[in-house]
Amino acid sequence: MSITETELVVRTIAETAIANERYFGDLDSVVGDGDFGYSLARGFERLLDGWEDLDRSSDGAFLKRTGMVLASRIGGTSGPIWGTAFLRAGGAAEKGVVAMLRAAAEGIKARGQSDVGDKTLLDALVPLTDRLETELAGGATAAEAIRAAAGTAREAAGATVGMVAKRGRASYTGERSRGSADAGAVAVAVLAESVSETWQSRGVAS
Amino acid sequence: MKKFVNDPKSFVPEMLEGIALANPGTLRYVPAYNLIMRADAPSADKVSIVQGSGSGHEPAHVMAVGRGMLDAACPGDVFAAPPMDYVYETAKLLSSPQGVLLLVNNYTGDRMAFDMGREMAEADGVRCEILTINDDVAVQDSLYTVGRRGVAGNFFVIKTVGAASEQGAGMDELLRIGRHVNDVTRTMGVALTACTPPAKGSPLFELGAEEMEFGVGIHGEPGRERRPLASADAIVDDLLDAIVPDLPYRSGDRVALMINGLGGTPVSELYLLYRQAHRRLADRGITIGRSYVNEYCTSLDMAGASITLVRLDDEIETLLAAPAEAAIRVF
Repeated sequence: MSITETELVVRTIAETAIANERYFGDLDSVVGDGDFGYSLARGFERLLDGWEDLDRSSDGAFLKRTGMVLASRIGGTSGPIWGTAFLRAGGAAEKGVVAMLRAAAEGIKARGQSDVGDKTLLDALVPLTDRLETELAGGATAAEAIRAAAGTAREAAGATVGMVAKRGRASYTGERSRGSADAGAVAVAVLAESVSETWQSRGVAS
Repeated sequence: MKKFVNDPKSFVPEMLEGIALANPGTLRYVPAYNLIMRADAPSADKVSIVQGSGSGHEPAHVMAVGRGMLDAACPGDVFAAPPMDYVYETAKLLSSPQGVLLLVNNYTGDRMAFDMGREMAEADGVRCEILTINDDVAVQDSLYTVGRRGVAGNFFVIKTVGAASEQGAGMDELLRIGRHVNDVTRTMGVALTACTPPAKGSPLFELGAEEMEFGVGIHGEPGRERRPLASADAIVDDLLDAIVPDLPYRSGDRVALMINGLGGTPVSELYLLYRQAHRRLADRGITIGRSYVNEYCTSLDMAGASITLVRLDDEIETLLAAPAEAAIRVF
C-alpha cells in the first residue's frame, strides 16, 4: 500500500466509526456496558481533528501515530485494543496488507489476553484476513479481494450470535451473552464493508 | 473520617508539589504527567528505573525517587492506574541510551497502561522493558488482578534494581536481578479497619469492631477471609504460617524481614509484630539478615500491617546495603 491508500483506508474507518456511533453503542448495550460506540467515535473524531498533523513519512509511521492517538483517547479497554491493532499494523507495514492484519490480530490477542472463539472482534478480523490472503494468492484484484473479505467478515460477525463471551465486559453475563452478535465483530464487518465500497469506487488495483 | 484536604480532585497534584518543595535540588515535579523525577535524570550512563501505580500507597512510589532508588515515579489518581499517555510521556522524558525499566505491580489496570505506554514509547524508538512484581501470597486472583498482587515487596525490587543501576548494570542484568528478588520475596497483610479515599469521604467497606480482613490487598480488596480479631502474636503466627511454606523459607535461610504499616497503625504496634515475627522465624532456624519496620506501601489510612520475607544471598544483601537517598529516608 502507498501512503495515500493507507490514508484513505484509515480515513474511511474513522468516518464509518463516527457515523455508526449509535448503532455500535446499541449492539454493545445488549450485554456490554454500552460505551463501545461512544468510545470509538470520540477516538476517531480526535484522530480526524489532528489529521493534517499526522506523520506521513511512511505507512508505518502514519499507522503507529494513528494507534497512539486511539490508545490515548479511547476510554476503557477499547483504546488499548484498537490502538494496539494500528500500532502493530504499522510495525508490519513493509510486509504488505495481509501481514499487517495478522500483526494487528496478534497484538489484540496479546493485549486482551483473548483468542479466536472468545466472541470478540477477533472472530471477524481473523476470518477476514484469511479470506483476503486466499483471494490475493489466487490472483484476485485488490478490489475483488476486499469485497470477498468483507463478505466473510459479515458472515463471521453473524456467527458470533451463537457464541458465549469469554472476554470483555460481555463475558460477565456468561450464557446470557448467547443470542446476540458481538459488537466488536460487527464493527469490523461494517468497517470492512465501508472500505470495500470505497475501493470499488476507486477502481484501483494495487 | 476527618482528613487534611482542600479539593479532593487536587489531592494528588498537591501532594506531589509538596514532595518536590521538600526536596529542592534533588527532585523535580512535572505537573503535566503527574511525575516526580530525579532532578539529574535521565543519565546517559544508566538505565532509568521508573515505577508507577495508583496513588494512596505512599511512601510507594513517589517518595522512593532518588539516588540508588527510582529515577521517576508516575502515579495515577488514588487507587487508579496512571493513564497510558502519562506512562508514554514519562518513558520518553526518562529515555536513556541504556533504556528505561518500568517496574509494575501486578494489577490488571496497571499492566494495561504500562504495556500500552511501553509499546507507544518503543514505536518512538525508546528502549523500554517491563518487570512485573507479584509478591502477595494471600490470593491467586483478586478484584483487580489476574494472578498474585504486587504489594510491599516491591520495595525490595526498587532498592536492589536501583542500587545495581546506580552501579552501572545494564538492562539484562537489571531484569535478572529484579526477577530474582521478586522470586524470593513473599508478603501477606491483614487489615483491622477499612480506608477512606479523599474523594469519597467514607470508608470503602465495613469491618466490624471485632473483625479483621486476613490477606487483605492494598486497596482494601478482600483477602482470604474475615476473621475474629486476635492478639498481635496470634496474627503474626497466622501470617507466617501462610508466608513461610509458600516459597518455602527453610531452616538455615537468611532473610530480610519487613513489617509494613498500612497507613493507620502506630509504629509502636509494628514493633510488637516485629518482635513476634523475629522470634517465630528464629524458632524455625531462619536468621534475620536485615530488618525493616515502618510504612513502605500503604493503603491510605487503613489500620493494618503486612509481613514481607526476602530470602537473602550475597548479591541481594550487598544491593540492599548500598547507599540510597529518597524523600523517605528509610533505606
